[in-house]
Amino acid sequence: MSDIAHPATSAARVHAAGPRAARLLPYLLSLPALLVCIGILVPFGTAAWYSLQRYNLAMPFMRGFVGFDTYLDFLGDPDFWNTVEVSAIYTAATVILELLLGLAIALLLRERSPLNNAISVALLLPLMTAPAIAALMWKLMTNPGFGVLSWLVSRFGLADFKWASDPHTAMLTVVLVDIWVYTPFIMILLLAGLRSLPTQPFEAARLDGVPARFVFFRITLPMLMPYIVTATLFRLLDSIQQFDIVYAMTQGGPGDSLMVFQVRAYLEFFQYTNVGRSAALMMILWALTYALSNVFVKQWLRLRERTHGAY
Amino acid sequence: MDEKARDLFDAFVAGNVGRRELIRRAAALGIGAAAAGTFLNAAQSRALAADYNWKAHQGTALKLLLNKHPYADAMIADIESFKSLTGMSVTWDIFPEDVYFDKVTAALSSHSTEYDAFMTGAYQTWQYGPAGWLVDLNEYLRNGARTAPNYDWEGVLEGLRASTAWSGKPGDALGGAGAKQWCVPWGFELNNISYNQTIFDKVGVKVPKNLPEMLEIAAKITRDAGGPYGIGVRGSRSWATIHPGFLSGYTNYGGHDFVMQGGKLKAAMNSPQSKAFTKLWVEMIQQSGPKNWATYTWYQVGTDLGAGASGMIYDADILGYFMDGGDNKERGHLAYAAFAANPEATAPTANVWIWSLAMSNFSRKKDAAWDFIQWATGTDHLLYGARKQDMVNPVRTKVWEDPEFKEKIGKYPGYLDEYTETAPKAKIYFTPQPLFFNLTTDWAAALQQMVAKQIPVDEGLDKLAESINRQLKSAGLG
Amino acid sequence: MARIDGTSAFLARGLRTLALAVIVLFFLFPILWIVLMSFQTNEQILRIPPSLLFDPTIVNYRALISGKLVTAAGQLDLPFMRNLGNSVLLSSVSVLLSLVLGVPAAYAFARFRFRLGENIAFTLLSFRFAPPLLVLLPLSLYFQDLGLANTYTGLVWVYQLICLPLILWIVRGYFEDASPDIEYAYRVDGHSWWRAFTRIAIPLAGPGIAAAGLLAFIFAWNNFVFALILASADKQPVTVGALAFVTASGIQYGQIAAAIVLSILPTLALALYAQRWLVEGLSLGAVKG
Repeated sequence: MSDIAHPATSAARVHAAGPRAARLLPYLLSLPALLVCIGILVPFGTAAWYSLQRYNLAMPFMRGFVGFDTYLDFLGDPDFWNTVEVSAIYTAATVILELLLGLAIALLLRERSPLNNAISVALLLPLMTAPAIAALMWKLMTNPGFGVLSWLVSRFGLADFKWASDPHTAMLTVVLVDIWVYTPFIMILLLAGLRSLPTQPFEAARLDGVPARFVFFRITLPMLMPYIVTATLFRLLDSIQQFDIVYAMTQGGPGDSLMVFQVRAYLEFFQYTNVGRSAALMMILWALTYALSNVFVKQWLRLRERTHGAY
Repeated sequence: MDEKARDLFDAFVAGNVGRRELIRRAAALGIGAAAAGTFLNAAQSRALAADYNWKAHQGTALKLLLNKHPYADAMIADIESFKSLTGMSVTWDIFPEDVYFDKVTAALSSHSTEYDAFMTGAYQTWQYGPAGWLVDLNEYLRNGARTAPNYDWEGVLEGLRASTAWSGKPGDALGGAGAKQWCVPWGFELNNISYNQTIFDKVGVKVPKNLPEMLEIAAKITRDAGGPYGIGVRGSRSWATIHPGFLSGYTNYGGHDFVMQGGKLKAAMNSPQSKAFTKLWVEMIQQSGPKNWATYTWYQVGTDLGAGASGMIYDADILGYFMDGGDNKERGHLAYAAFAANPEATAPTANVWIWSLAMSNFSRKKDAAWDFIQWATGTDHLLYGARKQDMVNPVRTKVWEDPEFKEKIGKYPGYLDEYTETAPKAKIYFTPQPLFFNLTTDWAAALQQMVAKQIPVDEGLDKLAESINRQLKSAGLG
Repeated sequence: MARIDGTSAFLARGLRTLALAVIVLFFLFPILWIVLMSFQTNEQILRIPPSLLFDPTIVNYRALISGKLVTAAGQLDLPFMRNLGNSVLLSSVSVLLSLVLGVPAAYAFARFRFRLGENIAFTLLSFRFAPPLLVLLPLSLYFQDLGLANTYTGLVWVYQLICLPLILWIVRGYFEDASPDIEYAYRVDGHSWWRAFTRIAIPLAGPGIAAAGLLAFIFAWNNFVFALILASADKQPVTVGALAFVTASGIQYGQIAAAIVLSILPTLALALYAQRWLVEGLSLGAVKG
């Protein structure tokens, strides 16, 4: 990659005038955004401090500093590891399936046409229904008596399908709802990416008679990678913190089969008033998300540099 | 209210004007029948003023935090009488039931001074009270000067008064020595049977008298009714699954949630009585409960009964009452019966849910807030609510004896008998302790695993008790 | 050979159409069903088995729009339209603020390589992964002290957690893909960087900004926990308002369905208006070269 080609370097060229002003400018531009967010860091610090305490609002006399005891307790708690497992399955299933489906839809709608554009906007509708409310409707639609979906699957011989109520199908059901709500998000980002790809490599490949599969894996996919990484990053952040769909549909049940992080943390805080445990759970979740995002952002930056290196 | 109208209603209350005369003159003043009810109530409230200074906080503005509930609706419909009685102004924030307690917890834990009084259940006060968020209302109730002489605290059902009072010491009996009155009962629910007469007649069954009979009849409905299933009970992963029918029947079988051993709590979910009851319960749901039982909350249990999808429910009587009206398909077909689960029991032991009013410790207008709580839980307003609105079940014996209310509730077949039979032993049967929500949620999760056949009942209950004992110990309670 | 090609192309097109039909059915059937429910009474919705035959009624919409719900016990007030107004206000002001703060920052990260630059960018992104529940309790305590509790200002501030990272990262990618050469040429003509930024860079990135803004708007619109915890009833968004139809005396499914339809309309209108940019706008490289 040549220096001249790098956008940042050429940008420095753009803003060559006044070396001191040029040095300060990026800070001036980005600081307001940072300052507005920095206020949030204070409560974040407070929450981290709570996580080091034995702190149940209903037992104020028991409050005290316990260091990392709460965290250590989690390590030996099978319920905690169940939460890790359930969250991991949920996140992996939703992100992977939504990515594949979103990519497939984007490929189908790739051609610019009024119909395709109309479909792409219409497909955003699920994203526009708030998951917390939509879940009420899903619960109704999967009701064995009044539910249209239960009625439909019973036509296909699945009369006893229990949806979110059966430990074996609960995960499937909430993942299905998640796919319904969020695939459009990935679809729209990838569609935008696909349509922005330069046409020359594809025309060249067509003239050379390169097989479609080869074009997809060797040209389309690599060029689309930055978009895939961005879409995945945002889906991953939301999915690992999933709350409203799971809580509204099953409250984390049946049994412990859907006790994802946020549901457990929500119960610990709002129902059990156990601020210390809730904060510790969420600090762990935060650390996990932080680490994952770090990997993704590094990848993203690398991919972007490579793309721009090809100017 | 204009002067003339006020004089007229005051005259009626004082006995100087007859009822017919009142209606005639009210009509002349342009007051319709509905408005007349409210005005009349306002006048009755003014009559109270003679022996208690209701105007002490005139001009004060109170703010309430309310759940979207028929009780709150009834109170709002009658709020003019409070305003004219006290000269205070009142505003309120109403939040949907789904998120209501999240809002309460958030407001109180952040020590917000915004709300003076709020709706709560008794279980919630086991957290809010020890947390220091509530005012012990005994400070007012036990002080003659601070409570209206005709407030009639003893007129509130005894079991309810006791169930809303607790010393704060885990394991201490509700309403026992040193108990603090964390809230005042406002309306309550008895857990009994509400059933669909049409379905029962069609299948040819009578109301079950005990749990084994309930299993049989529910199975017969599921088999023969051509669609509806036999018995609706809650099953979601929540404390709310444990407290209605389940705990009422469990208690009837002699089960306890905890026992005290040397001043410490010990889980009793795996006692022989508990195991016997739980086995039947789980079998009943597997055979003839709703297919999606594990997601069933109050709403689904009620909806199914109201829409004719279930034959009966073992849940709050007022849930059946609500489903008997509105635009529910089965309105007019429902009936009610008391239920003692244990064939050897002499009487039902209904666990109760009590919607109550509590006072925020962060309120800056506590005395004024107490006047509101007195009015809202006083006989006059509760009579109005029971007669004209859906304030069932009333917490005061006087209201139950009121002819107008009796006539109204008499239209619900069996409701009055169900109440009369159950009321004497109706109270909260849980042991009060601050981990209530935590441990009952675990209990519900364990039930879900048993119903899904992931674990046998005996083993499931042993594991549950073991896990609960561990949690009690680490919290310093066991 | 040609014939085989023709057949397979025909087959491919048929398969594509079929696949699209299945996809449209999967994503839009629930929406269609909700729209149908919004024209039914609860009694019609709760039938076994569910049925497509019903007398359409507009009672649900009338109740929501007039704010008056007539029940057996009397007339109740519904603040739904106010909830809708709150959602419009909170979401649009939050997105506008995010754009004002985020676009210059995105530009800085895209055009300059500066000390701590990537760190600042990552920190801003990281606000997206602070679990909201984690900060809510301390936040509500501090809001009491700062006088921000129960204010639109406080809420708009907290909504930046949702909007800002999204806008920042999408717009940043867009700026990076737009060639700096045009700006360079403009600056060589003797214009200030500010003019280059506002006259060249922003218009070029305009569609991307619009699309990122729309996505941020949708996410802000769907949030409900912030307002629930931090504000009183008169400032609640439509997501909390729609839950009001779940009451002790039953779930009003017809009204919830109507509430969903009404709450989709503003976002849908925005999406249709922005349709041109929505897809093209996210095409980060559309203006390249």
